[in-house]
Amino acid sequence: MKVAYIFATSRHTVSYVLGKMILPQLEENRHGVDVAGMFFFEDNNYVLVKGNPIGARLHAVAKKKGILLMGCDQCCYEREIADILFDDVPIGCFPDLYKALSGNMPDQVITL
Amino acid sequence: MTAACREACCSVTPRFTVAELFERGFRRNRATPFDMEGSVVADAEGNYARFSLAIERSRLTGLSFRVSSCTTLIAYSEALAELLHGLDAGLAAQFTPQELVAALPGVPALKQGRAVLAVAALRAALVAAETNSIAHQGGADR
Repeated sequence: MKVAYIFATSRHTVSYVLGKMILPQLEENRHGVDVAGMFFFEDNNYVLVKGNPIGARLHAVAKKKGILLMGCDQCCYEREIADILFDDVPIGCFPDLYKALSGNMPDQVITL
Repeated sequence: MTAACREACCSVTPRFTVAELFERGFRRNRATPFDMEGSVVADAEGNYARFSLAIERSRLTGLSFRVSSCTTLIAYSEALAELLHGLDAGLAAQFTPQELVAALPGVPALKQGRAVLAVAALRAALVAAETNSIAHQGGADR
């Protein structure tokens, strides 16, 4: 099965669910499913800023496994981080996300 | 330099950032267009833009637009509307996409192509306005 994650809520979504569950499992090849992409809303986009330690690990594993990472464009502009994300991590809105995933469609979309 | 700094450090509003231009542009994008409308310009990604103008004595006294719901495109279009208001139409026609990109930092390279679309739509409206003006002059001569 192939999934896509949408990080829509804040609080411990990135630091805990992504950083301590999903990411280590991806790094250890035992997540259980393939991940087609991850899309980030609101403050969750800070993980995509160059230099973020969780983001650096995520960026590396995404590159290795071909996982799409994308930040919400309005969220990134509002936080003035749109131009300081990790290399090759785009910003966009739903049309951009669907287009980017169209060549690697997930079976399930998980909203966290 | 007499203009107030519009960066976050000075807390001067309105700020000239993508986020705030988008907020203002979102409202302008739904406003009633001016009479002089340019043709619709589109790009390969399905985005489109159309500017409308009000011109008095060759000065741009009103700029509005209808563009697709792309955050960057709306922000660039709003930036054009704010930057060029009051300017001579001939000078406005010389404004380039590169100048627009430079005027609005913070847009990643992948999205800067929206500036080309916004400027092309503005130029189309300026051409339409000029054609309209020549037609009216021609009519008056007859």
